[in-house]
Amino acid sequence: MLTGNAAAAWGVRLAEVDYIPVYPITPQTEIIETLAGWISNGVMDSRFVTMDSEHSMLTAAGSASATGARAFTATSSQGLLYGFEMLYAVAGWRVPLVMVNVSRGLSSPITLEPDHNDVLAARDTGFLQIHCETCQEVLDSILMAYRLAEDERVLLPIFVNLDGFYLSFTREPVAVPDVEQVRNFLPLYQPKHAFFKASQPMAQSAAVLGGSSYSYFKYQMHMASQNALAVYKEVCDEFETGFGRNYDTVEGYMLDDADYVLVMTNSFSTLGKAAVKAARERGIKAGLLRLRLLRPFPVADLKAAIGGKKAVAVIDQNISIGKGGILHSEIASCLYNEKHRPLLLSFIAGLGGKNISPDEFEFIITKMIEGEDTEDAGTAQLIYTDKEWQEMGRLKGMAGKG
Amino acid sequence: MYRLRFHGRGGQGARVASKVLGTAAFLDGYYAQDFPLYGAERRGAPVAASTRIAEDPIMERGVIPEPDIVIVMDETLLQDPLTMPLSGLKPGGIVIINTTNSPAEAKAEYKINANVLTLGITKIGLDMLGMPILSTLAGGVAARIVGLSEDSLTEAVKKVLSSIITDKKLLDKNVAAALYCFNAITPIETKIELKTIDTNKKKSTVISLPFEPAAVSSPAINATGNTPLRMTGNWRVFRPAWNYEACTRCMICVARCPDGCILINEDGYPYTDYDNCKGCLICVEECPTNTLGKVMEVHAKKVIGN
Repeated sequence: MLTGNAAAAWGVRLAEVDYIPVYPITPQTEIIETLAGWISNGVMDSRFVTMDSEHSMLTAAGSASATGARAFTATSSQGLLYGFEMLYAVAGWRVPLVMVNVSRGLSSPITLEPDHNDVLAARDTGFLQIHCETCQEVLDSILMAYRLAEDERVLLPIFVNLDGFYLSFTREPVAVPDVEQVRNFLPLYQPKHAFFKASQPMAQSAAVLGGSSYSYFKYQMHMASQNALAVYKEVCDEFETGFGRNYDTVEGYMLDDADYVLVMTNSFSTLGKAAVKAARERGIKAGLLRLRLLRPFPVADLKAAIGGKKAVAVIDQNISIGKGGILHSEIASCLYNEKHRPLLLSFIAGLGGKNISPDEFEFIITKMIEGEDTEDAGTAQLIYTDKEWQEMGRLKGMAGKG
Repeated sequence: MYRLRFHGRGGQGARVASKVLGTAAFLDGYYAQDFPLYGAERRGAPVAASTRIAEDPIMERGVIPEPDIVIVMDETLLQDPLTMPLSGLKPGGIVIINTTNSPAEAKAEYKINANVLTLGITKIGLDMLGMPILSTLAGGVAARIVGLSEDSLTEAVKKVLSSIITDKKLLDKNVAAALYCFNAITPIETKIELKTIDTNKKKSTVISLPFEPAAVSSPAINATGNTPLRMTGNWRVFRPAWNYEACTRCMICVARCPDGCILINEDGYPYTDYDNCKGCLICVEECPTNTLGKVMEVHAKKVIGN
């Protein structure tokens, strides 16, 4: 039984990381506390350094990675935003830093519980992104992340994302792999492009002007990220061979014969699966598609999974203020040129960790069926209940806004 | 599936209790999941923790909105309007309360319409561990109610605590206390058949959220401060008690109280604001003349408005 945070720490320990610069933030801190404990009592051989902000923490982690060390760091929410400038910089250095983000809603109003506006704000940085549903997946994804990021065809940093509270503090059974087996899967990192060696000096991260060289470097990053789609499949297959667990870029649940599909990410997908199961018991052919790899975006796998379905409801646990659900937009752009594209509905749910109850999932599934009948996807809708509205009224009264 | 919710205060051990139970269930071959929820990480603040135990993979996450069993580790929480520990309890569910009252008394006192079991685990904790930390004790009670084995409970306490404490003697005391509570909870009353109704809740309706002007919809609070209304006096396990014969009015207690809860009466003697004193007992520690002693709080009602 491990929390998502402890599972993350186990992933880092098994990956035999060299250097870990840290800065605390709820709900991530348990990861670095666990690592600090192991390093201090000698069961883990890494250099652990406490930094004075997430900005310096990311600079240190990326720089260490640029010397050829295997580096790790972790943050959440406001911390990620505080270090944001360095995300683009580190990705541009083309170094395989693995970083955990424990999702937490962004200020204001300040909160602790999860949604994905933090990690999705980093979607254009060059970092790859793996989003996890279970504690086991967190541990396994960190191992896969190093393999993927350190591959010559990729060499980009990567996020492993888990939900605050719903995974970070939730304990569930986790199988901890054997370190020898992990060594077979994840060999020593031996960079050919960015390392520290006195006999081979190099200047990294040169400045450019004029645009053409800048365009070259940026588009190289994009192509490396695109390469990661194929490399991911290899890593996924090898991981399955070694450890018996399969993690494709997307995961289907009761999807093959489904007419109505929920699209979700991260730990709330578990709730979506339960709702799909319940809908099946009512005779509705529902299914769920969970997006696991969000950068690079698995366009082909996504199209194959939902092409030809009657209706698809994207449940965004994020909101791009002024536009709506981020993943809805991304999925819509993938389907626009398809001949047999499903009706695509958009829902915003679970912001700041708001629960999505079975009734609310039922509402979404009903909307898909109605939409398919009327051929009208409607407008994006926030999933919010009458009871929650009443409770909000009570709170507004307490705040002197009655 | 069994769905259990622990309610306690920061520092009492609700989170660890749910871990002990989850681990014991896992060791007994069940699927288990435990999850704590707390806001500011602060001693005395209400904490809830959820444990799910099932024979099949668990397809739920987060707080348990409709528990089968609620374990109230701090009796004063039953009167806390924000915590509402019994909310969502299923018909036919069980409430276990840490109190020296009998089940019938607790039922009447708190107007509870459910099966009530009581055990004064604070007293047991003080007697067996020497401190009012109730994690393993509440875990032991819960393990008995859901029918887990003594062996798994023992193993779970060792497993969970060995990652928190290094004192072997204290660990052994915790095992003993957990087993004591496991066997102390009246077995006859625990044979209540649980109706695990999965959808007993009234349907909630999805609505369209209306626009409201920023004067309402910005996260600002216009009401004046309500901190004095939060009676933190019910956080106490022990209360400072006064013996004025020894008091020299040196005022060290007044200066040392971190919460400004020691006031001065007309005769110039200090006294405690029991509505807000959290029972840290710094005053007892600092008093040079033994004017202050400590007395265990027993019932919530004696605290409120004293």
